[in-house]
Formats: sequence, structure tokens, C-alpha cells
Amino acid sequence: MTDTFSPVLKLADLPPGSKKVVKLDGKPVLLCNYKDRIFAVSNICSHQYKLLHGGRVRHGKITCPVHGARFDLATGEALDLPATEPIETYDVRVEGDDIEVSL
Amino acid sequence: MNDVDAPIKLDDVLKRGGARCPGAPTTQEIIADDTVPAPAWVRSESYEFLGDEDISTDRYTDPAFAKREFDTLWTKTWQFACREEHIPEVGDYHVYDLGRYSFIITRVGEDDIRAYYNACLHRGTKLRASGTEGSACEFKCSFHGWTWNLDGTHKSSTCDWDFPHVDSEKFSLPQARVATLGGFVFINMDPEAPSLEDYLGPEALSHIKAWKLENRYITLHVSKRLPANWKLTMEAFMEAYHVIDTHPQVAPSNGDANSQYDFYGDHVDRFISTLGVVSPHLYGEISEQDIVDQFTLGDSSAMGDTKIKLEDGEKARGAVAKIFRNMFEQAANADLSHVSDSELLDCFSYTVFPNTFLFPGISLPMVYRFRPDPTDHRKSLYEVFFLRPVPREGERPEPAEPIHLGDDQSFTEAEGMDPGFGQILDQDTDNLRLQQEGIEASAKKSITLGNYQEIRVRHFENAVDKYVAG
Repeated sequence: MTDTFSPVLKLADLPPGSKKVVKLDGKPVLLCNYKDRIFAVSNICSHQYKLLHGGRVRHGKITCPVHGARFDLATGEALDLPATEPIETYDVRVEGDDIEVSL
Repeated sequence: MNDVDAPIKLDDVLKRGGARCPGAPTTQEIIADDTVPAPAWVRSESYEFLGDEDISTDRYTDPAFAKREFDTLWTKTWQFACREEHIPEVGDYHVYDLGRYSFIITRVGEDDIRAYYNACLHRGTKLRASGTEGSACEFKCSFHGWTWNLDGTHKSSTCDWDFPHVDSEKFSLPQARVATLGGFVFINMDPEAPSLEDYLGPEALSHIKAWKLENRYITLHVSKRLPANWKLTMEAFMEAYHVIDTHPQVAPSNGDANSQYDFYGDHVDRFISTLGVVSPHLYGEISEQDIVDQFTLGDSSAMGDTKIKLEDGEKARGAVAKIFRNMFEQAANADLSHVSDSELLDCFSYTVFPNTFLFPGISLPMVYRFRPDPTDHRKSLYEVFFLRPVPREGERPEPAEPIHLGDDQSFTEAEGMDPGFGQILDQDTDNLRLQQEGIEASAKKSITLGNYQEIRVRHFENAVDKYVAG
């Protein structure tokens, strides 16, 4: 089995409660450190392709700051209008000091 | 002179509504015997006879009446829109909906909360979907991108060259009035309405301030659509008169028929229903030990397998209060030695007109909110929030997310719901379905109310009439 994970950020650069956008293979990936868990999702809202990274994270869900769509960080599911389609989610792991993501 | 115009004799007025449950101690007498005494807001009474005429039932069945309510009552009253904890930081917002009305409640500054009518001033699209919340630095319409600043001022219009007739200075988002109290955010659409303080009146206001509900947070939030008009649904929770028949499992430990009923001005009423005492309906059938053994209200399930064995002559009420005091001290990491037995045990149910119930007790720490179903006046949207003290240490917890139950789901299915409490709500729901249908089937087009135990229903409907009549 091929290891498809790539290091994208030092763990120390994503303190608890913070978010950061990285690029992997040209894709903007939003990393969220929320309540002792790291999530990796697409930074593009499925509604009108706005950027998600300015949104509020609560209860493991992120709200698009532009029109208010809300997505589950774990599953990508669209929870609130105006979005009806999910966002992409990515496998993420911590190896040593690095956060690694697999697209 | 016809009967309507006949003078009412003072003796009759004093007599009517003056009767209380015979052979039972009053709520005040029960509370006066407690080990840790109750505060002043508990130890007072404020009842008056308000009449004994029937109330016509078209208000529960007529869609035209519901429309009048939307046009008058809901536009002129203070309503609980959200808790401050829903919008803790500048830019946080919460959408509050009432029928067709919708507001974006947003924190513009640390002590500056606003309620914007939730509609774009261009072609009317909602700026945020109903039932949502989040954070924003501006409100941008998803249709054509017109944008407003957090403070409601107009920021930009896409292709503004095509709108020379739009004066940006005059295109701020219209607002409803906002007031906060006890951690609740209230809104009122009427610019001429009295302040929230005047609306509540000094006595009720002093009660609410004494509870310091701003120091609590939402640990559980459950919503469900109920099968009856919103007013019928409200009224199902206004009296303990129904306990002996609807909730027989509660009666062994609830002073139902000797509960106390009060009202304050036009907009606030309450009952105090003591717990840890037997229902007067069951006098002679239930021992003090039975009261303890059958205690089913509040956090009874949190007591787990704790068994209380009463000493000779020991009263159930005092013993349960002691257990609750220890339990809540541990749970909240707080010193509750000064909190009265009554506050720990009893059910305090306050209504803030039109649609909010506050229960400031410790073991029954709920808030109810009722709203008409915007598509069916024979149904209503019910929410229960449980408010627990904020832990003394660590960060303030986030308010619980709402759990939306389906119409046919039991309240016991909501994760975190005390099973005994969920069962009570299910029993109330079953009644409501039958009551809505029965009122529509009945040859009698009115309801008949008890003078004392159902005074809150009359007080509430008097307020409804005041607003709907204009």
C-alpha cells in the first residue's frame, strides 16, 4: 500500500483552537485544531466557492463567513443552507512534529 | 339593568378565587418549615381574581386569529431571541425566526447587540438562512452580493453605477430593539413599546435579576414540533392541576393541588410547585418513605442508585434537599450551603409573555420557548433548554447545539434528556394532540377555568386579548 500522506505543516504552527490554510498539489486545504483533534477539509465552500478559513468553528463544525453555510469538519456534510453539497475532507495524521495530509 | 351591568359586591370578589385546597398546607407553609430559608422572591404571593367567564376557543382554531397575532401580538412584544452565549464574540450572529419574521441577532461590540431584519434591501433575499448561526465580518447577500457592515451600514452594491438612485446613507439594515437580561437577548419589533424593564415591571424584574441566570449555560437544547396551537401548548405548562391525572408518577412527591399561583402586571406570571411532599390527592396513601422512594422529578436519575432511608420522624423533603445539595455542590464545584431547600427542590415556573418560560430552580433549571408553526396554526414549535451553572474553573463551555426531534419521536430519545423528564413531556404531548382535536370537535366553543389553579391561563389569555384587540 502506497503511503500517500504528505507533510504540510509543523504541529507547533497549529496551536489548539487555531486554523491554517496550506496548499497540497495545488489544492487549498484548511487545517483546524479543534478540541484535541486535527481536521483537514477543503477551504472552498461548496455553495459559491468562497473561502472558509475566516469562519467560526463550534462543535466540530465550520460556518462559511460569507453566506453562513455550515459544514461538519469530520464528514464534510453540509448542515445549513445555503449549502446543500458537502465539502471535501482529507485524511490527516501527526507524524513526529509534522501534520500530514492525504488527498 | 341586565346581568352584565350588575354591580359586583365586594364580598363576592373576595370570595371568588379565595378558595384553596382544603386540608393541605399552603406552599408558603411548606417552605416556611424548610431548614435553609427561602429568599424574598419565593416567600411572597401575588394573586387576584380575574373573572370566571369562559374563554372562547376560536383563538386556538381560527387561522384568522393566528394571522391577527402575527400582525399585532408578535410585532409588539419582547421575545427571547437567543442567549448571549450564542454570540460571545464580536461578529457572531444567530438567526431568530418567528413565523415569517426573521432577524439576525449579532454582536457588534462587546456590549452592543443588534437585531437586523433578515432581508437584503435590494430584492429581499434573506441574508442568512433561518435557523443558522455563525460569525461574519460583514453580511453579504448570496444573490447579487450587496453587502452590509457588521454595524448595519450599507457597504457596497455590485455594479453601483446602475443604482445612482440608491443613497448608501439611507440603506442601513432596519433594526428591531434589543435588550439583555440574565444572559438572554430579547428583541421587540415595536419602536413604541415600553422598555423591557417596564414591560416586566419592578417586582418580576427583581425576581429575574436575583436568579443571575447570566451565570448559567445551555447544557441541553431540544426542539420538537407539538400537535397543538402555541397558546394551548403554553397553557399545558401553566398549572400543576393536571399532575394527578396526566403525570401520576409525579404526584407521590409533588404538592400539586396546593401549588401557589401568582402574576405580576400584564406580562409575567408564575407557579411554585413544591417537591418532596405528597400530593393532597394522595394523603393517607403515601408515607414519607414512599415520597423519597418515588421521587421522579428533576434530577432524580442523577441520584443513581442512591437510596435514602429516613430516620424516625424525618421528613422526605428535608432529606431529598440534603441529597440534592451535596449532589449539586459536587457537580458544579460550588458552595450551595446558602441556597434554600426550596430553590434546590421546587418547581418555579415563570412565564414571560408571550412565549417564554423561565424555571430558575436548581434541580429543574429549564427555559421553554414556544413559537407558532409558520405553516400551520394548529401546531407549535417547542424548545426546552437546560441551564446549569458555569463551572468555576476553566473556560466557559459552549452552549449545547439544538437536538431537533421528529414529530413522532419521544423526548426520551434526545441524548442527555433525563428519562423521567422526557416521559413527562411525552405525556403532555399526548394530551395536546387530543386537546387540539377535541376543541375542534366540541359542541362547546369555550374553555372553563378554575379560579385559582388556572389563573395563569386566564392571565395569559387576557394579555393575548390586549394585543390582538389592539
